[in-house]
Amino acid sequence: MRPPPRIADWHSAVALLMGFWVTFRHLMVNLFGFSRGRQDFTVYYPEQRFLHAPALRGMPVLVQMEDGRERCVACGLCEWACPTSCITIFPAETDDQVERYPRVFDIDVSRCMFCGLCEEACPEEAIVMSRQVEIAAYSRAGTLWHKDDLLVPVAKLKTRIDYLRANYGR
Amino acid sequence: MGEDVRIIVDGRAIAAPQGATLLQAMLDAGLDIPHYCYHPKLSIDGSCRLCSVKIEGMPKLQIACNTTVRAGMVVHTDDPDVAQTRRGVLELLLLNHPLDCPICDKAGECWLQNYSMRFGSRVARTVEPRRKHGKRLDIGERMLLDQERCILCRRCVRFCREVSASGELVIYNRGDRSVLDIADRRLDNAYSMCTADICPVGALETKDFHHRLRVWFFTQTASVCPTCANGCNIAIDESHNRIWRLTPRRNDAVNDTWMCDAGRLNYRFVASPARLRQPLALRDAALVPTSWTEAIECAAAHLLRVRDAYGGGTLGALVSPHLTVEENFRFGELLRVLGTKQIAMAVARGPSDNFLIKPEKAANARGVRELGLVSGADDGLGSLIDAVKAGRVKALYVCGDDIVRVLEAPRLAALLEALELLIVQTLEQVPAFARAAVTFPTTTFAEKSGVFVNFAGRAQRIMAAIVPPPGWLNDGEIFTALLNAVSSRQERFNPEAVWAHIVDSTAQFSRLTLERLGTQGAPLSPAGAPAAGQAPAT
Repeated sequence: MRPPPRIADWHSAVALLMGFWVTFRHLMVNLFGFSRGRQDFTVYYPEQRFLHAPALRGMPVLVQMEDGRERCVACGLCEWACPTSCITIFPAETDDQVERYPRVFDIDVSRCMFCGLCEEACPEEAIVMSRQVEIAAYSRAGTLWHKDDLLVPVAKLKTRIDYLRANYGR
Repeated sequence: MGEDVRIIVDGRAIAAPQGATLLQAMLDAGLDIPHYCYHPKLSIDGSCRLCSVKIEGMPKLQIACNTTVRAGMVVHTDDPDVAQTRRGVLELLLLNHPLDCPICDKAGECWLQNYSMRFGSRVARTVEPRRKHGKRLDIGERMLLDQERCILCRRCVRFCREVSASGELVIYNRGDRSVLDIADRRLDNAYSMCTADICPVGALETKDFHHRLRVWFFTQTASVCPTCANGCNIAIDESHNRIWRLTPRRNDAVNDTWMCDAGRLNYRFVASPARLRQPLALRDAALVPTSWTEAIECAAAHLLRVRDAYGGGTLGALVSPHLTVEENFRFGELLRVLGTKQIAMAVARGPSDNFLIKPEKAANARGVRELGLVSGADDGLGSLIDAVKAGRVKALYVCGDDIVRVLEAPRLAALLEALELLIVQTLEQVPAFARAAVTFPTTTFAEKSGVFVNFAGRAQRIMAAIVPPPGWLNDGEIFTALLNAVSSRQERFNPEAVWAHIVDSTAQFSRLTLERLGTQGAPLSPAGAPAAGQAPAT
């Protein structure tokens, strides 16, 4: 027959005390250790900002080429792929070699769910998920971003674009 | 013609008319056989090879578009050879086809996209660079050509040769050097935009629709073109409660699969900023916007005042050839209650051809005549003008502004000067009607449902694609509100109920229920009064 189970035994007590010791050790090191061995994971926001991994899907933005124009040709695939219908595009004609551009490109960020399907659908690498996550607004209207608000220079989006090319086989 | 021929396609028995091609028979039976160069209204080409099928007893695949059906023919479209051929044709087409889908207007209704997804290979084996040709070439006043996208089906070439009889488009060179181009004239014929309809890809595009909107946002509504009396069947493409494009619908009795460019472009007036959005009333020699209720009361009061002072016979009316049969019927009821005898119609006329374009530039002139509202070779216009000049008609209710284009300005001014009361119902403010006591805004063909009768006596349905703003009264509702005001009735305007009444009471319209009219329309019955007062033939 098995011996009846006991609530407390010396194995549990030792484990408990070891846990206390680890916490106490961390407390002493962080309080008095300063730069040596100090492991303070707190990011003092907003003075410090966390640099997210390239895989993070922040707000979708439009890639702006060196000449200031958007790379987007208003094909409408991102609009159609979006599960929340947050993108509105009206195309128009240009006289340049690239004959099509978005006259209107709106993203309703309050609807956006940051899924990245727009980025995945885009055939031109024109819309990417940036690392922008600070999207609070003071009004409903403030959550509707227009084309000029969405343009980001391509240099700033290099990390994301490189990540996409490495992972999506483009 | 002979009896129908029985053939078997994929195990399914199909009856085909004798002399028909296999592809015609299969398409008419509802089978979706991929094809490019075949078009039901053009000559047979046999160039694309996409309709190749396996016919038992024949060793190689045959093109269905140029194979006449024979009794007992057994056809297989699910054969692996057929699938491989389709894959092969599509792969060869895609070898040189530019990667333009993101900027091509045809995306979403492109036959190359659709067939490639269904029958094409999953992997591209392109190695060599694609051949280069002209892109976004201005080949006509309304047309653009992208030579790289062309798949050389030659539908447009045959159209220009056979339908518009103008021969502008040709294919130069052979093999992979083939290129579509205009020969010695630009593509400016009156039906040039039909080439964009029949082009399976985005090689021929209309300037009107260039980079406007993606087609997957459109709701399509079957309707009839309002521009002339031919009544070409159209489809209205609507999104965001606006019209973006008109395209022809097939109707073998009216317009085959075609429509003229003038009619195709005539949709922007529906959203014109110049359109009246509110009724206007004359106050101190100025036209001021008023509410609908006030306008109705004011107009009814004026009409009753004239009738009571001088008698109903002093009221005259110009009915509109642009309003539906149901609306004009209700107008007729209003005029009868008022005692109006002098009713006429002005119809603007313009150039015509021996194909689809008719001289009367309104869709329902014949419908008005069939209702018996007007009579005489000039639709009673001369008689009305004389009556106004002689002072026998003191008040005029004018619907539509065709009169401005039919009468020269001085004559029209003299006519309107002689009136004591003028009430008008127009699309935009017309300077000649500046003295109108009440101006009602009219509603366009795209915002209402009803029936038009074309020049040949075919009744066809129009359906609403656009919703007018809230509180709006369409033409039938205006007539009904006036009818209620002058006769203390409580009617509503229900076009379907009005049509049912017309079907029951007028000989030519008998048995033409809305279900029977459907999307293709039906001819008026020859029995009963012949079309009175037809305009002189051109």
